[in-house]
Amino acid sequence: MKEEKAFSYRRYVWRRFKKNKPALVSLYILIFLSLVAILAPVIANEYPLYIRYKGHHLFPAFSNKSNYIIKDHETGEEEKIQLDLTDWKQLDAGLVVWPLITYSPGKSDRLNGIYTSPAANNSYVNSQGDTVVTKAKFRHWLGTGKFADDVASGLIHGTRISLTIGIASMLIASLIGLFLGSVAGYYGDDGIKMKLGQWIGIFPGLLLGYFYAFQVREYTLRDAINESSWLFMAHFIFSLFLFMAILAACWGTGTLLSKLSLFSRSYRVPADGIISRLIEILTALPKIILIITIAAIATRSMLNVILIIGFTYWTGIARLVRAETLRVKHLDYVQAARAGGLSPMRIISRHALPNTIGPAFISIAFGVASAILAESSLSFLNIGVPDDIVTWGKLLSAGKENYKAWWLVVFPGLAIFITVTAYNLIGEGLRDALDPKLKQDGN
Amino acid sequence: MLTYIAKRILLFIPTLVAITLLGFILISSAPGDPLDVVVPTSENTPEMKDNPSIREKRIRLRKELGLDLPLFYVSIKSLASPDSIGGVEEKAHQYTIRRLSDETGNPALIWKYYRLIGTFRTSLNAIEPDSQYTETMLNQLVDAKSFAYILPNLYNRNDIAFQLSALRDKTKGLPEQQSIHNSLNTLETTLGEAYTNANKWRSYIPVIRFHGLNQYHRWLFGDGNMFTGKGARYSKGIIRGDFGKSYTTKFPVAKGLAGKLGWSIILTLISVLMGYLVSIPLGVIAAQKKDRLFDRLSSVALYVLYSLPNFFVATLLLMLFSNPDQWNWFPSSGVKPLQGYPSGANLLERISISLPFLVMPIIAYTYSTFAFLSRTMRVAMLEVLSQDYIRTARAKGLKESVVIWKHALKNSLLPIITIFANVFPAAVGGSVILEAIFTIPGMGLETVQAVFSKNYPVIIAIFTLTGMLTIVGYLISDILYAVVDPRISFKSKKS
Repeated sequence: MKEEKAFSYRRYVWRRFKKNKPALVSLYILIFLSLVAILAPVIANEYPLYIRYKGHHLFPAFSNKSNYIIKDHETGEEEKIQLDLTDWKQLDAGLVVWPLITYSPGKSDRLNGIYTSPAANNSYVNSQGDTVVTKAKFRHWLGTGKFADDVASGLIHGTRISLTIGIASMLIASLIGLFLGSVAGYYGDDGIKMKLGQWIGIFPGLLLGYFYAFQVREYTLRDAINESSWLFMAHFIFSLFLFMAILAACWGTGTLLSKLSLFSRSYRVPADGIISRLIEILTALPKIILIITIAAIATRSMLNVILIIGFTYWTGIARLVRAETLRVKHLDYVQAARAGGLSPMRIISRHALPNTIGPAFISIAFGVASAILAESSLSFLNIGVPDDIVTWGKLLSAGKENYKAWWLVVFPGLAIFITVTAYNLIGEGLRDALDPKLKQDGN
Repeated sequence: MLTYIAKRILLFIPTLVAITLLGFILISSAPGDPLDVVVPTSENTPEMKDNPSIREKRIRLRKELGLDLPLFYVSIKSLASPDSIGGVEEKAHQYTIRRLSDETGNPALIWKYYRLIGTFRTSLNAIEPDSQYTETMLNQLVDAKSFAYILPNLYNRNDIAFQLSALRDKTKGLPEQQSIHNSLNTLETTLGEAYTNANKWRSYIPVIRFHGLNQYHRWLFGDGNMFTGKGARYSKGIIRGDFGKSYTTKFPVAKGLAGKLGWSIILTLISVLMGYLVSIPLGVIAAQKKDRLFDRLSSVALYVLYSLPNFFVATLLLMLFSNPDQWNWFPSSGVKPLQGYPSGANLLERISISLPFLVMPIIAYTYSTFAFLSRTMRVAMLEVLSQDYIRTARAKGLKESVVIWKHALKNSLLPIITIFANVFPAAVGGSVILEAIFTIPGMGLETVQAVFSKNYPVIIAIFTLTGMLTIVGYLISDILYAVVDPRISFKSKKS
């Protein structure tokens, strides 16, 4: 008798998912795109991957030096080659290994001019001063854009930006949404009680925490913003910890206070009420207006875009998780866990959560698609990511300015379309795979 | 049922207050000085800002616009923070005063230092170069003035020391050297005093201050009488629907927005109507011919349409149909020709003039709704079609078309109706991207322009308006749900 593998929910879902052909194809497309994003500097780079020059083995694409000192083996004289000034394409060298696209994103190719069509003949002026047609290896296969930048290279590196922003912002949104959603669903309005003493401790705790963590440190934080995003993040996280520490200390004092009979009465904390109100407020504002307003005010950086999109999208996930947790709360296995005396955190994380995040994954898949669209819209309007980073939206906006340049509209648009469709199809596939009951009639 | 509606309406109010607070917080934390937007750009250069009459004007404007008021009813400050720095002429100066006060713990001395800088700059500006002045001395004077202009922006002690000594150098050899250097000495000693008698511990003691009049209050109730609004010179407050005057056009915000709202609503309504006109039959037919060729083809096609980003489609449309090199069928931007409507044109004429401008925007607005609406219609229709009463109707011998259009359709419209109520918020927000591309003077474009030109009254007004109307939209849809499906209000009554 054949030994049957134990039933695993994950494997079951995966089998159902595989049956959905469009979803499976989308998954492969996404894996391909992720590879492109990761390997972008290897696929499209203006420096050769490997070049054998005067007997030396050089790897300019991977080097972070600004120049090479080459000692000629025969004549003994030293030559200084500066990476960004050398015309690597015309260098007289031995074996040269070029990446697939021989241009870096956003760099102007002065020789070939702005808005060159993919069909046009690229030409350059060689060392003898003649205008020569470029070899196929060095062509702009998808044309050039507004600043004579190679479109193919921009598309490839743009994949990085779009995927990073899409996935990172949804990661933040999921973390916030999962946490708040499960707390709201599990505790409801009655689950958490605090003694009067603790209530009394919380409010001064909030004020003092805010004062010492953010007010007093205002100048350190402001100076850090001007220096670098990462320094600011570090300082900001430190401030957050300080805030929580002070809050905890005041809460602790409150607990001591509540030992006195005067302050010992318990009152409910309406956790669900607070979180639901918060969700309502955030959903009352049209997302795109909120994102554009904040993006226009904040400094332009990729981190800011990720944070902004993440902080606007968490509400959808929180709503779903909350609804699921409410549903699951009354099921037998959760009741059993509670009767067993497990701590609420453990119940939520190990018992309830694995079953509530199913629908959340669907929302996350759709959310990544929306996040990529949001980022494209932002860079289309020229806010969001800094000017020197090339994204799909930016290429599209260059296309809008010059209608002859159809390649600037079609190719980035197709890229966005394919990526968004892939994520949407994966979301639908997940939806069908996770819960057949959710399947629409006959769909 | 009425209690349900009443409860929903009551919950509406705190949410509204919270939205206005959110908008207000966003605006107050925006970088830059609103005053720089209000004054004409000609007065915004460093030379003009150094001019004493311009400086006075700025202080006066700040007071009039209420920008010198504290932000909110309460504020948490430290013992070392100065009060009422809002009236200072430049926001950067406010930061310097605040920061130096916190660093030294001597707000009074820092105030004195700042005022001394002010008088120093005035006296420097008052110098009339007479015949004694040589070319080099004139240049020195100009340089000294610009150094003095930068001085109040510096909050780093070393930078200040450097600047003061640079000033000293620049003014050497001028006839007024003695008095200038005396002033500089006083500046230095005052600042030095603040540092030597440092009470930095003061900045670690929190203090809660309560304010009477503040910017939020003024924004809510206007600058006249709080209850009647009488005597208001700038705004009657948003409680009376007065959102102040736009910084860029100087016209009342509310009236300007109403006009823009019109276009957004027109476009959204037309696109929704067209969407329904196309999607409902599509969904019904797809449900009837379930899983046959029509159903599958339309499903794929609609899915593709839904996934195309709207700015991509819009740009494609423009490229194909507004391109002098391709087919130049439609104008590329705006809603009416440059000259506007001919005078005396009635409504019908206006519509016919604007129509070519609106064709492409409507296509761009509408295409993405086809997928969602027709799918919802199809699902609802399928569910209804599997009900018993439909079987009964067929068994009765009714024609299929009567069965579908008369019986099934009515009951499957429920989700469609409730979607309609949610469309209202979308109409108000406008589609920012599409309006930006087609240059439609709607709410979306207004938002983008206001944000870029830092036109704060307009930004806050848009936030508040869209928030309000969105909540109204949700309210209506909730009520519609409860009206159409009594189980909903019953359930909540029980809980």
